[in-house]
Amino acid sequence: MGTKLGGYRRRELAWLYLFVAPPVLGFLLFGLVPILFSIYISFHKWDMLSDPQWAGLANYKDLLGDEKVYKSMYNTIYLMIGIPIGMVLSMLLAILMNRKFTGISFMRTIYYLPVISPIIAVSLLWQWILNQDYGLLNNFLWETFGIAGPNWLGKPEWVKPSLILIGLWSGIGGNMVLYLAGLQSISSTYYEAAEIDGAGAWHKLTRITIPLLTPIHFFVVVMGIIGAFQSFSQIYVLAVDGGPEYSGATVVYYIFQHAFQYFNMGYASAVAWVLGILIFVVTLIQFKLSNRWVYQD
Amino acid sequence: MKTKSKFAGMVMLLLVFALSACSGGSNGTNGGTASSNPDASKPSQEASTGSDQKEPVTIDFMGHGNPNEKKIFEKLIASFEEKYPHVTVKYTSVPPGEYSQKMTTLISSGKVPDVFYVGGPEFYRFAEAGTLLNIQSYLDQTSLFNPDNVWKQAMDRYRFDGSKVGEGDLYGLPKDVGPWAFVYNKDLFDNAGVSYPSAKAGEWTWDDMLEAAQKLTVDNNGDGKPEQYGVGAYSLESAVWGNGGEYIDYATGTVKVNEPAFYEAMQFVADLNLKFKVSPNQEAEQAMNAYTRFINGQLGMFAMGPWDQPAFWELPFAWDIAAWPASPNTGQTATWLGSMGFAVSAKSKHPQEAFDLAAFLSLDEQGQRENYQLGQAVPNLINMAEGEFKEMDKGPQTRQVFLDIIQDYGRPNVIAFSKDTQWMDTFNQNASKVWNGEMSAKDFTAQIQPKMQELYDKGNK
Repeated sequence: MGTKLGGYRRRELAWLYLFVAPPVLGFLLFGLVPILFSIYISFHKWDMLSDPQWAGLANYKDLLGDEKVYKSMYNTIYLMIGIPIGMVLSMLLAILMNRKFTGISFMRTIYYLPVISPIIAVSLLWQWILNQDYGLLNNFLWETFGIAGPNWLGKPEWVKPSLILIGLWSGIGGNMVLYLAGLQSISSTYYEAAEIDGAGAWHKLTRITIPLLTPIHFFVVVMGIIGAFQSFSQIYVLAVDGGPEYSGATVVYYIFQHAFQYFNMGYASAVAWVLGILIFVVTLIQFKLSNRWVYQD
Repeated sequence: MKTKSKFAGMVMLLLVFALSACSGGSNGTNGGTASSNPDASKPSQEASTGSDQKEPVTIDFMGHGNPNEKKIFEKLIASFEEKYPHVTVKYTSVPPGEYSQKMTTLISSGKVPDVFYVGGPEFYRFAEAGTLLNIQSYLDQTSLFNPDNVWKQAMDRYRFDGSKVGEGDLYGLPKDVGPWAFVYNKDLFDNAGVSYPSAKAGEWTWDDMLEAAQKLTVDNNGDGKPEQYGVGAYSLESAVWGNGGEYIDYATGTVKVNEPAFYEAMQFVADLNLKFKVSPNQEAEQAMNAYTRFINGQLGMFAMGPWDQPAFWELPFAWDIAAWPASPNTGQTATWLGSMGFAVSAKSKHPQEAFDLAAFLSLDEQGQRENYQLGQAVPNLINMAEGEFKEMDKGPQTRQVFLDIIQDYGRPNVIAFSKDTQWMDTFNQNASKVWNGEMSAKDFTAQIQPKMQELYDKGNK
């Protein structure tokens, strides 16, 4: 451009950089540097005590033959079953909450409460609710339906469904708010026009509401999958040592174990990078597919 | 006030460093040499007590444990500081679950405390990485310490010869010895008219135990879930070792779980539930663990360490400890003997004072006395353990059992000599297939042995 900046403008810019600097520096120092370092370390063996030793591709090779990587990956993907269920439920909930009656904000607050509850405390509560012998859930099942409930967190085949259940309870509220926002941005003219054409409630839902909510669906799916790939805290509390027969361990939990229990930082970094790339690819595919089904006006 | 005095302390320290740097050539400086080559550094020539012309020194000490343990250590440290007025100890206690992580992070960032806890696999990893100070030469000179009066079984855990744990020079001192003992509810035995297990090793066998357990298992309402069980959380280590089996031969690094002596013992432990129903199954255990059942008076036989004493003193029923049941195949019994230790950082700027603190905490008579009186441990000092500790009038009555375990049939935990524990974790994660009867111990161990061997080789060789 070549035009010289005036003194005032230059001073403005200086201030701009000054104000922008803290978060940017923060990211560079505590975000980018560790990320780059983890690439470096993923090609090494490092126990955090002695100097890293060059290992070439050994970590990545080990990873391909490590059955626990596959097992934890399977568990992680299994947990994603919760995403579509959660979407349906939170959308229905949002539609219910999208009317005007007294106490509506109270109701909305109740459903949003799990989202802001600390995950560790919530997990501990669930541990108690799901206890086989004296847990609330099994007592309820027994007294109301006469069903002897399973050992939710103790049987390999029940651990993941339990985790999905907990995930639904704590995740629905957040998605409900997103759907609410989506619902409220749908212009009422669509519904009025449809009514004139003789559309019933079902048609209004399937032909207007759901299609016009596709940007929200898209956002929820993308965030849900990323979140599922990263799930850790509940597992850490609810599935001690990965749960019975490692049935509850997710990939991030496995990374954590290698990093902070076995102190195989190199290996943990390698798995983390594979996971990171996987998330990236999956998200990319979702974006590519999105223009086929997401309605943008 | 506090920050001010801290600041003053730092200034003093700086001055001291400046001074000691100038007085080059003197014999026992505490500075640089120690950090560069711990093995070569000799303890200072001055006697550890007596002279008042000491430079003020601050020692960082990090440990973990329950609030009780923390209180004891605060007291111990206060009396240490009285005895060594020039030393200030900064004590940090972190939750046990976070300890290993926190320590490793501190070490990798170069901020190692001067004195800290080490145990089992950590000791191995830290010693091998050169984090720990070789304290042999300090020990040889100290007057605090008579090696013949400290359990050799505990000391040997902290030896390291450059590649193996268990031999060579000392790199740590025991904080405690933790004999894992067999405990039983006397009232339940009386009610069922069963005679007590013997305190002498080898007299009471698995068969005797099973017979007693069958009489002690009670299902009053007939729902198939006994309200009272004979035995819970039976130690697999005890069964395996007593039966002549091994998890691993550390000399050759061979995992030996697939040998008959091992899987027979494992099957016996599994059958306590599967076949004989005298022990809670996995589900029952998860719903209410054996510890809670024992505390509630719903379990005849269980296991305990010395640290369980304070809680057990509160129990409304009578209890005592006995020898672990012996394998009828060998007539032998065994159990594990835990230990945690104190180590000194190789990078400590004040190795002499740090060593003094570790030795004091480990071996000081008053401290050891307080420790056992509060029910935390068996004294490290043999004469105290065999004297006043044994005579103590609180439960367990038969305290000799603790001492027998230490001297005769206690063995280091399986993972004490391996720095990477994945091979054992994999075993434990999958063993439920045997506990719930899905697989026989024989098939399971045959299947898991190659995997364990592979993991052991990868992490430890």
